[in-house]
Amino acid sequence: VDALEQPLGAGPPPILDTSPLPALAALALGWTAVVALAAAGLVTPVAADVAGLAAAHGALLGTALAWTAPPETDDRWAPLEAAALVTVAATWAQVAVAGWLAWAAVPAWALLRRPAWARTSVAGLAGGAVFGLLLGGHLLVTAALTLGHGVREPALDLGPWWGYDVGANVLAAEAFFRGALFTRAHRRWTFPLAAAAATAASVARYLVDPLLPRAVEMIAGAAFYLALLGAGNCWLVARTGSLLPALAASTLFFAAYRLLGAR
Amino acid sequence: VTGAAVALLLAAVTLAVAQSDAGPASLWRHAYHAPVALAAVRWGGRGLLVALAAVLLWAPFVLPALERSGPTPEVLEGLATFGFLLGSGALSATLTSRARRQGARYETLVAVGRAIGGAGGLDAALDRVGACLAPRLGGAVGLAVRDGGRFAVAGGVAVHPDSPVARVVAGGPPCFESDAGGGPRPRRLFVVPISAAGATLGALALEREGDIAGDERAALLALGAHLGLALEHARLGARQRRFAAELAGKVAEATRRVVEMDRMKSDFVAVASHELRTPLTALQGFSELLATRRFAPSEVARLGAIMAGETERLGRIVSDFLDLARLERGLAPPLRRRQVDVGALVGDAVEVLRRARSTHRFDVECAGALPPLEADPDALDRVVKNLVANAVKYSPPGSRVAIRAGRGPAPPPTVEIVVEDEGPGIAEADLARVFEPYYRAPGTAGAAVGAGLGLAVVKSLVDAHGGTIRAENRAPRGTRMTLTLPAVS
Repeated sequence: VDALEQPLGAGPPPILDTSPLPALAALALGWTAVVALAAAGLVTPVAADVAGLAAAHGALLGTALAWTAPPETDDRWAPLEAAALVTVAATWAQVAVAGWLAWAAVPAWALLRRPAWARTSVAGLAGGAVFGLLLGGHLLVTAALTLGHGVREPALDLGPWWGYDVGANVLAAEAFFRGALFTRAHRRWTFPLAAAAATAASVARYLVDPLLPRAVEMIAGAAFYLALLGAGNCWLVARTGSLLPALAASTLFFAAYRLLGAR
Repeated sequence: VTGAAVALLLAAVTLAVAQSDAGPASLWRHAYHAPVALAAVRWGGRGLLVALAAVLLWAPFVLPALERSGPTPEVLEGLATFGFLLGSGALSATLTSRARRQGARYETLVAVGRAIGGAGGLDAALDRVGACLAPRLGGAVGLAVRDGGRFAVAGGVAVHPDSPVARVVAGGPPCFESDAGGGPRPRRLFVVPISAAGATLGALALEREGDIAGDERAALLALGAHLGLALEHARLGARQRRFAAELAGKVAEATRRVVEMDRMKSDFVAVASHELRTPLTALQGFSELLATRRFAPSEVARLGAIMAGETERLGRIVSDFLDLARLERGLAPPLRRRQVDVGALVGDAVEVLRRARSTHRFDVECAGALPPLEADPDALDRVVKNLVANAVKYSPPGSRVAIRAGRGPAPPPTVEIVVEDEGPGIAEADLARVFEPYYRAPGTAGAAVGAGLGLAVVKSLVDAHGGTIRAENRAPRGTRMTLTLPAVS
């Protein structure tokens, strides 16, 4: 027992410790520059969208990597690396027919950089998958009954969206809000407090997402389901110590969401 | 089984609601409380998930109606059901969890009491307490309790001087670390004092992956106090048992000594009677002869000498009795001190014995210029004669008896008189007891006459002079009596 045999620890560092501020500032500058160029008509709006995606998701994923870096690892510039990778994947998704498959490179890169996120049991992974399926199924039923949304047909043209979710949307959100923010908060606070903080932050992130439809019922529904998804994923991370079950739950939930075609 | 029952109930109620035409006002909605209550009672806090599941199952019947018709009374009833389900689920789960925790705490207290009360010392008791607490608290448990100048430790090898446990034991407040580091999940650490009667006896540490909530910390503080009382109780109980055992041992020893003393006194009475009777018989016989018959003057002189010797023997025995009586009353023998020349005293005493006991060889060796003693010459004469007579009595005829007088190890100045014989020696177990009154080493009672008083009287006389006497065995055989007396400086 360490309490007997080890000296008293100094306590956890500040919650924003090891934040990659220079890299985030560089991303913000780059994105601002691209937006300015787009406004001036020097680059296409598609390029500005790609830059926005890369900056936002690269910032979240890179910050998550920097916050969870082992002491001997220097991940200060991970946001720039992540943004570059997202840019490449998003560009491939735009220019090639099956280019959306390039999104798979982002989670592969992230999990190689942080193998601890992927260490889980089959039971943990199955638990996450069941949770995502139940929540996604409930979303489909409720949306169909309440709003009259049916399942989009054919579903196969959803590949680019699923690719985006797997490679950027779900990966960046889970890595930052659960893998980094919740884990850091939980090392300081109780589970309910840490889960509430991380879930509130993740719901806020989706509510300001320009891709979310602005209808009131959609915003209310998003807040409800994303809060449930966030809280459940926090529990999965706290229970298993791995990010993979939460990634599975969110991926399946967003797959169900994309079936609604609520773009 | 409970899980299946809950799932079946949820499905059945949902089907019943779906079959009902009443929509959000369906009375079947109240049936959702059954699986919610069942889960809360069975699983405690985790039962709240069933309340959440019931809400999710009920939502598709309420939200479309809200979308279609707005907040009608039926819809409002349906919406209220959300609150009732979540509220009753949370309340039932909380109450069940609290009752279970309370029950578990009582069980833990009882188990801790049993673990402490087992056999073995403090270390074994702490090991048992640690093994008992670890599964109940769901984490690693460490215990450290002061035991004199050391720590008795369970759950570790030693206490680091800067560890949380050491700080708490030193009188610091309870210590909580939200993350003790290492591992993907936060590892909480909480250390509470083990205290009794206002003093900190030790500390109890719990390490666990997952929360240690506020009410649990309060319970651990109470557990620390209970543990302190239980340990103190066990310590007092052990001390009481030890005292009782010591007392019983002392009583048994005293009883044994009383019985032995009684036996020795009985033996003494028999021996003393015999010792008194022998000279008395001789005196009686010779006096009757002298009274009834006429003898030649030379024969009368011989008989008179015999009677004088027997009278002297009788007087010596009576003197020993008187000295013993004083000794038993705790009084020192009366001494008439004056300066005594040790060499002359030893020489005279041995010469007397040499003439009386011609069966042994006597070697007398006195160092030159011995300091004089401030002593009672009669008492000292009795001591030397007694030691030499004992040496003669307990060694075979023809053997040598050595008497040496010399300076003792200085300072202060002392004179040492050593009497050695070539007898069988004294058993090691009896060496310490030969100076006790009435004591006669086993096997010597038949070998030589005596009441067992001689050495006791010798010791009392030596003590009265402020000296010491010790008995030891010589190699390869024989006994050595060493008498040390303070000399005049």
